[in-house]
Amino acid sequence: MKGLFKPKPKTPVELVKLTRELLLYANRTAETREKKREEKMSELSKLLLEMRTVLFGSDQSEPNADACEQLTREFFKEDTLRLLIASLPKLAMGPRRDATHVVANLQRQRVDTKLIACTYLEANFDIMDTLILGYEDGDVALTYGAIARECIRHQSVARYVLESEHMKKFFSFLQIPNFDIASDAQATFKELLTRHKSTVAEFLSKNYDWFFQEYNSQLLESSSYITKRHAVKLLGDILLDRSNSAVMVKYVSSLDNMRILMNLLRDSNKNIQFESFHVFKLFVANQNKPPEIISVLIANRSKLLRFFSDFNIDRANEQFEADKLLVIREIATLDLNETPSTYGDDDDGETSPS
Amino acid sequence: MAHHEQEDQCSSTGTITQKIQYPLDPSSYKILDEIGVGVSAIVYKAICIPMGSTVVAIKAIDLDQSRTDLDSIRRETKTMSLLSHPNILNAHCSFSVDSRLWVVMPFMSCGSLQSIISSCFPDGLPEPCIAIVLKETLSALTYLHNQGHLHRDVKAGNILIDSDGSVKLADFGVSASIYEPSHHHHHGSAMITDMAGTPYWMAPEVIRSHTGYSFKADIWSFGITALELAHGRPPLSHLPPEKSLLMKMTQRFRFSDYEKTLKINDKNKKFSRAFKDMVASCLDQDPSKRPSAEKLMKHSFFKNCNKGVEVFVKNVLHGLRSVEERFKESRKHVGVEHHEDEEFEVGSSPPVKQRRISGWNFNEEGFELDPVFPFFTTESREDSDSVVKQVRFGGETIIPPDRIKKQSESDTNSEESNLGTQLAVHHQAAESDQSSEVVGAFDNQTVLGGLMALRRSLDEERQQVSNMIALLGGEISREDQLMQIVERLKMELETERRKNFELEMELEFLKHQISGADNSGGTD
Repeated sequence: MKGLFKPKPKTPVELVKLTRELLLYANRTAETREKKREEKMSELSKLLLEMRTVLFGSDQSEPNADACEQLTREFFKEDTLRLLIASLPKLAMGPRRDATHVVANLQRQRVDTKLIACTYLEANFDIMDTLILGYEDGDVALTYGAIARECIRHQSVARYVLESEHMKKFFSFLQIPNFDIASDAQATFKELLTRHKSTVAEFLSKNYDWFFQEYNSQLLESSSYITKRHAVKLLGDILLDRSNSAVMVKYVSSLDNMRILMNLLRDSNKNIQFESFHVFKLFVANQNKPPEIISVLIANRSKLLRFFSDFNIDRANEQFEADKLLVIREIATLDLNETPSTYGDDDDGETSPS
Repeated sequence: MAHHEQEDQCSSTGTITQKIQYPLDPSSYKILDEIGVGVSAIVYKAICIPMGSTVVAIKAIDLDQSRTDLDSIRRETKTMSLLSHPNILNAHCSFSVDSRLWVVMPFMSCGSLQSIISSCFPDGLPEPCIAIVLKETLSALTYLHNQGHLHRDVKAGNILIDSDGSVKLADFGVSASIYEPSHHHHHGSAMITDMAGTPYWMAPEVIRSHTGYSFKADIWSFGITALELAHGRPPLSHLPPEKSLLMKMTQRFRFSDYEKTLKINDKNKKFSRAFKDMVASCLDQDPSKRPSAEKLMKHSFFKNCNKGVEVFVKNVLHGLRSVEERFKESRKHVGVEHHEDEEFEVGSSPPVKQRRISGWNFNEEGFELDPVFPFFTTESREDSDSVVKQVRFGGETIIPPDRIKKQSESDTNSEESNLGTQLAVHHQAAESDQSSEVVGAFDNQTVLGGLMALRRSLDEERQQVSNMIALLGGEISREDQLMQIVERLKMELETERRKNFELEMELEFLKHQISGADNSGGTD
């Protein structure tokens, strides 16, 4: 019998319209009648769940491509995303999560082959400001962080964030004592600095000085284990990326940088030692080592060789062993008086890049 | 349109349940007792001083020892802090202390149901109590599934109990969200395709995971958990984990077979029709025929548990020693660490050791702790402690010591290789109270039975088994074996060569130094 009175399912267009009305209501805080407010909020929660079902399907049904497209089109026709993000702090955990899934999914939906979410964000970059600054507010940090990570899948949006003042703030977000928030910020930071190769390379070369100064002093020389471990791992990922080779050459030509890495190499924690090695080897392998780096390496030659002969890791692999050998060989044969181009004697021709 | 920013007002509407923020520095906590120890984690009972000395559990994980990457730890703690339901163990907060991560959680003074069973109810709990705890667990599952989360490791060891009888589902180490981008692309709809969980509780479709599975996999594990609570152990637990997987793939679970053995072995144990019906519905081979968590809540088996938790508290928890006492006791007796956070899980290939943050099971039985992967290696465990010796026989059979208990007469004549007889065989083997060889022999017999069944099985099943074997990296032909040996020898040779080379380099370097010294002494 119940089925007879079931309301007709809403069309995607109706769904977005109703949601928008309720979001407008939620953002108006003048309403004093608590009961009415509660009713409206629970209605909003149901609509978010319905949108989630349209986009992801359910146990019984696969998502319908037409319905997804209609919903996406309607959603970005007006300022629904802005309203939704502004209302998130007022929602309970469940609806917040539904909203996050909905927004994440919408980033990937195409309307007439175009990612209209991207177009919308490009016209509303300030939404990214709200999302990133969410890390300052413990309550919404994880929700905003998850949404921000979805939005920076679009290269133009990532570029906006990279070029914004927020990049400087990340250095303090990463050191927030709350593990959940700090590691969420870390995930976003990493995404920003690794996802879109050309944009990252451009950002790093333009902002080299301040960025690596902060990176070294706030992260690599931090007293926090987690901060250090994340930082040295990400540094390795950045420098070893082919698209960042210019930045890498610059980084590994600095004696100050090498000093920091040499200290990390002696860290009491194995994981940090291991990750540091992947960066340190670049200083040694550099074909054009500045004289001051050569002389420091020579001055520490016996110490370094002794260190590397004992340097082993649990999960040793071929690559690690090969790298270690290369580093040992290079350090052992260093000569201050030789010009860089004469490294590598004729008997070890296999090391020269061909 | 008046835009008054009245944040307080909206939180008073009750739409937001403001989370109480626990302090993020170790000095705010006072550690009272150890309640669990693993290879790289310790669980403490502690009080939070600024919060009126609220009792909490703190799991301290050594991140530098942890082989799991920080990213999966992040996902788990995030899941724990974002879920909020009375039947879910969430984290109050987490923060780092040197190279350790402290995860602060509510303290559940009675520990896991598994630990309660193993210390006080080796033959299982009374039915009314099972109904009560299972109903609470279902309520957690309903919530999780509505949120798009699969738990993937439902078992008594992950159901924690407090002294007031409250029940919380714990351990989100292998949980997954079907809405996470990495999952929903596989099939268009929400399906998961990687293998995870603990073998005895794993649904058949999870084992052949390439076809995808979803929420109903948790319902299977829930059904197995019901049997675990009823009898003190999950079905097939007499078999090593990998063989239990094989059995599940090749044979349908038939309640009648299972029941037959139960009648034989537990004469004084009678379960209601409602219970059996409920369990059978969960253990349907076809996931689509299993009820959803929500629907299962309405099953007649759960009708009578509205009397409240008093029954449970009175019958089960009353007189139970505290979890810290039981932990101390277990350490004294066994003299060994319980690696509660280092269970081997069946992960997507290659097999990985999963770190579990949200679980804090104590007194876990050996069969859950021993590695599932790799199957056929005779890898000697460096920490050859007493537990390992007790529970492993020739690296094959795993039967924990308390499992070996006197059972009533069992039928030894039955020859068919079905689930029922295997349980009977198990009891018989256990009863014989003899040395490992006997158990091993019985085990071989069951394996043989399993293999015979395999041979008779249909093409489809044969296909599944070979997929399965491929997945587990087993069945290596003789040629492959030889190739492997050759490969290994090559590797050894390579290592030797490299060592040699290193020495030569060192020598060269020394020569260099000497000649340098000569030069500076001579011409310079």
